[in-house]
Amino acid sequence: MIEFYHVNMVYPNGVVALKNITFTIERSEFVFMVGASGAGKSTLIRLLGREFLPTAGRIRVFGRDLTKMRRREVPLYRRSIGVVFQDFRLLNNRTVYENVAFAMRVLGAPSREIRKRVPEALAMVGLEKKAKRKPPELSGGEQQRVCLARAIVNQPSLIIADEPTGNLDPETSMEIVELLEAINIRGTTVIMATHDKQIVDAKKKRVIALENGQVVRDEQRGAYSSDF
Amino acid sequence: MIFRNFVYYIKEAFGSIFRNGWMSLASVSVVTVTLLMLGSFILLNENVEFLATEIKNQVEIIARVEETLTPPEVERLRAQVIQLEKVAEVRFVSKEEALQNLKAQLGDVVAGYEEEGRNPLRDSFEIRTIVPEDIPAVAAELAALPGIAEVDYGADVVPKLFSVTNVLKWIGMAFMIGLAVTAVFLIANTIKLTVTARAKEIMIMKWVGATEWFIRWPFVFEGLLLGAAGALIPALILQRLYAEAFTWTRINLYFLPLVEPEAILGELTKLLLLLGASIGTLGSIFSIRRFLKV
Repeated sequence: MIEFYHVNMVYPNGVVALKNITFTIERSEFVFMVGASGAGKSTLIRLLGREFLPTAGRIRVFGRDLTKMRRREVPLYRRSIGVVFQDFRLLNNRTVYENVAFAMRVLGAPSREIRKRVPEALAMVGLEKKAKRKPPELSGGEQQRVCLARAIVNQPSLIIADEPTGNLDPETSMEIVELLEAINIRGTTVIMATHDKQIVDAKKKRVIALENGQVVRDEQRGAYSSDF
Repeated sequence: MIFRNFVYYIKEAFGSIFRNGWMSLASVSVVTVTLLMLGSFILLNENVEFLATEIKNQVEIIARVEETLTPPEVERLRAQVIQLEKVAEVRFVSKEEALQNLKAQLGDVVAGYEEEGRNPLRDSFEIRTIVPEDIPAVAAELAALPGIAEVDYGADVVPKLFSVTNVLKWIGMAFMIGLAVTAVFLIANTIKLTVTARAKEIMIMKWVGATEWFIRWPFVFEGLLLGAAGALIPALILQRLYAEAFTWTRINLYFLPLVEPEAILGELTKLLLLLGASIGTLGSIFSIRRFLKV
């Protein structure tokens, strides 16, 4: 379903972010992308979101070659992906409900559909009682759940989470990862970039480790580091 | 689908205008001030031009007749003048009438001549041409006619007046273009601030998969609405003020002709609204372009 084939990424300022990356992720997989800051996780995620194109190599997602995609096809492609950010990126002047509904509104969804699916998404993350609150009134964990609800409300086939627990305490972090697992069990592919050793070690999922822009390890039921 | 989106754009535009109340007020004020200046200038320009045309139309040629001519000869000369191609109207002014006119203008200075029964003036024709621009040519033709002693049309004034109105027109145009460009620039900057304030929103929209035009439309409507609102205010102010000025001038400065309010205000309002809406729309398209590249 996701295929990176000899992907290289050099930024215009000369920084080499990714070197010869090749891996495949199947449908319904849950993958941790681990590595220190600057290892290339963010670049990889931004490439997946087709924010820019790789310098060399090919990226195929859902059978489509991102490097050959036309500019006007990009929005349609992004609708099949849900993104969760470390800094949540919620609209603070709108309610929780509106934040989630926003993701549907901007795709021109009918109001009937919005009224049905937004509460479902909020129930899935356990926030149905806080629909009328605004993000600043919520805890960090709750805000990240809103972000998760927004990511799943359009029923994407792939969820990309970029350090979703980076700003959260360990207990809350675990809850968020468990939510991602629950979403994954329903058939959605999940890629989570993280450097949270505790979570990765506890979950025993597939781990792709990046170091200096290269894949140094790719193992099923892996741990954060191989040296123990 | 399309209608639903349209409703969404309008809602978003209004929502944003009220959410960013101060910014919106600033934008509207910028358009208001700019268009108020522009509108005043248009009114001024139109009136200067109108006045110039009025003055031009009042310029006439005075052709004085030789004293030796008998009345039938004068009548024949008159027939000859009216035959000239570019002449619209000829009026005969006898030397007695001319003296009366002079007396009305200068008063007692002339009275002495009357008492003595002397009249140093000549009979003359007052000639209007069909277009004022023909005056110098017609004057030359008249001077060549036998029986005409002297031709006078303010030879210096007429070409000068024409060049002055032309220069005024060009200065006015340059000034108005300058103002319009300034307005677009100011609006672009103001809307850039609203767009910056909403960069997060745009970023989320892009990541969720909204199309570029879907993101653009609310801003375009916002710019259009702000621009139109900014144009409506000066349009109303100018309508009111001009009508007042026109009435006041008619009573107090009756010799100063102004363009009728009905003849100018409708066009001016249309022009200002169109300009305001275009300035707003252009401004928002300029400022959002940069943010769409994600």
